[in-house]
Amino acid sequence: MKNNNKIKKYHNPVGESKYTGLFLVMPFIVGFFLLQIYPFVVSFVLSFTKFSINDTPEFIGFKNFKMLFSDSDFWKAFFVTFKYVIMLVPLKIAVSLLTALMLSTRIKGMGFFRTLYYIPSILGSNIAIVIMWSFLFTSEGLVNQVLDAVGISKIGWYGEETPAMWIIVFLRVWEFGSTMIIFLSAINDIPRELYDSARTDGAGNIKTFFYITLPMLKNAIFLNLILQMITAFQEFNAPFLITGGNPLKGTYTVAMMIYDESFKYYNIGYASALSWVLFVVISLLALLIFKFTKKIRSD
Amino acid sequence: MKYSKFRKFTSLLSISLSFIFISSCGKTEENKILPDGSLDKCTLRFSWWGGDDRHDATLKAIELWNKKYPDIKIEAEYGGWDGWTEKLNTQISGDTAPDIMQINYDWLINLSKDGLGFYDLNNLKDYIDLSGYDNEILSFGMREDKLNAITISMSGRGLFFNKDIYSEIDAEIPESWKDLIYLGNKFKEYEKYPLDLDIQSGASAWYLSVVYVQQMTGKQFITMEGELGFTSDDIKTALDFYKSLEDNHVIRSVKTRAEQDGNSALYQSPKFIDGTIAGVLEWGSAVGKYENVLKNSSLVAGHYLKSSDGNSSGWMIKPSLMYAISDDTKYPDEAGAFLDFLLNDEECAEILGTSRGIPANRNAYNALESSGKLCGISYDSSEYLGKTDPVTLSPYFELSQLKEYYNTAIEKVSYGILTTQEASEELFDNVKKYLERIR
Repeated sequence: MKNNNKIKKYHNPVGESKYTGLFLVMPFIVGFFLLQIYPFVVSFVLSFTKFSINDTPEFIGFKNFKMLFSDSDFWKAFFVTFKYVIMLVPLKIAVSLLTALMLSTRIKGMGFFRTLYYIPSILGSNIAIVIMWSFLFTSEGLVNQVLDAVGISKIGWYGEETPAMWIIVFLRVWEFGSTMIIFLSAINDIPRELYDSARTDGAGNIKTFFYITLPMLKNAIFLNLILQMITAFQEFNAPFLITGGNPLKGTYTVAMMIYDESFKYYNIGYASALSWVLFVVISLLALLIFKFTKKIRSD
Repeated sequence: MKYSKFRKFTSLLSISLSFIFISSCGKTEENKILPDGSLDKCTLRFSWWGGDDRHDATLKAIELWNKKYPDIKIEAEYGGWDGWTEKLNTQISGDTAPDIMQINYDWLINLSKDGLGFYDLNNLKDYIDLSGYDNEILSFGMREDKLNAITISMSGRGLFFNKDIYSEIDAEIPESWKDLIYLGNKFKEYEKYPLDLDIQSGASAWYLSVVYVQQMTGKQFITMEGELGFTSDDIKTALDFYKSLEDNHVIRSVKTRAEQDGNSALYQSPKFIDGTIAGVLEWGSAVGKYENVLKNSSLVAGHYLKSSDGNSSGWMIKPSLMYAISDDTKYPDEAGAFLDFLLNDEECAEILGTSRGIPANRNAYNALESSGKLCGISYDSSEYLGKTDPVTLSPYFELSQLKEYYNTAIEKVSYGILTTQEASEELFDNVKKYLERIR
């Protein structure tokens, strides 16, 4: 009789020494140290220096941080960034959730629609698309032409702070694909039996949404909230390319200020201090969200 | 235990690396590679910014070089102006700057305070023929006793008008400030504007306002040594002048401009291309990009505006563009030879034409003159400027941080956030403090 219990041995082509694992993850470790840990530590040290390109850093203690808090541009940039986060994150989560609900229905050809809705997320990071987006909102742009055609008066999108911010928010909401995918997979994990028994008890679509879907999605909502908040706080590309931070610095985010201070005004020490303040703010907010949602998440 | 050891190790490694980084900052002369007296086979990187006219001409010049010196290959790195400073700064701070660079006059202040930021071209005199330059022109590229950069052209910012639109509405090209103001009402009837000024990276709105006040007062806004020459009242006069241009429909308000063009540069604006905007204030060395986009009309160089009593002073001139060699170059001899080709070679001069303005180098100038290529609006503007009494623009004038202050003041006045009195006080304080800090 053949022995079926024999353990099959696999040959590892890279080697079987105790260092093989380390060797295999080395590309990540090297990249992580050089591109993440090293700049992270250096920027911290530089935040206590006066440092310009081609100069030797000069240690100045907490002076950069003191200057920051008396800099009106810093407060304005933080206000603008908070405003952007508040305008974007809830809207993006709501749009992603609604689309995910729509795309979770089991009809023929749904795979095609899921792909279609994900495309903006791929295109949105393309500079050409961002620039094209900016043309849609000029006074003679497509958006105003559509508004005009349906009898709504044209909007001076770029001329005022809040409408200019909406241009960026709409772009980022349009790229809802990744957020939607998280919701979609969470929706698919909800046991169908819950819906079946709720419907047997006479619950309609609205009730099942609020009493089954939403509570079952709390972890996905939390994850999206954290991820989107962190990304939004670091927004740079869209305002840089679309509005240039204008008008009246109404779309000038903290990330843009860091960039300008570093590469336009050569204040690398000051920019490093600014980066660290942003890092601390994002970390504190993430901690607060973790703390305040702990009870809801564990229920 | 093992984890704690690993954590200690990573912390120590990171901290040591940061100190290595800091101790390696700053430039020293010992790091530089000295010329070895021979031209070896290599590849050099050459970067510039500009419009399509400059790109096309420069690429053709590189083709010519490659035919003459097939062993020294040139890799071109080029693009538009927006974001160029930041890109180059990143390269310089990361020691990955191109071997040969087109740079701006004011960059020398920040990038080479002690003359060590760029290669000292005095060491490459065997390759670079400087006989075509006056000492004064060469002095613009000196930092301490080192020749960091060589002026390509001297240029002023002049007015250029769409002559077809002006003829269409029967308007005269303005000769004085009064004429310019008068044109506003005339153009308003046709829903057009005789001129446009911006608060983007060029800060042309503030530039023209400064010229106006310099002409009225005889003062220089910022001196060559970086002293603020204007009083708060002078700045107020400049802002009042700017506001009068908006109020008289000479230029679009900041808000209208933003609504119509978004963040685009004027030469990319449909309003400029379709002739709604019929004038621009631009460097003679960079006006080509405006000419290129006009398909059904053409530009003409305007006069340098003067006061009613005929005073035409106050306009400014500067080394509009310069070439420098990276202090990190591994091929100083070859870079020097290529730089000489760009500056002195007759064939190259003819190919480049006036794409970087009228050459400051006599050899290149003569080559263009004898081939009949000294023409066009860039040349006309340069000739008109020569008939005024221009002052040399302070290298401090165009520092990015200062431009940010000018633009902010103009924007606040335009939106009515501040009165010209309040904005002038704010701008005066900001400029004064900044100049004191960096001098």
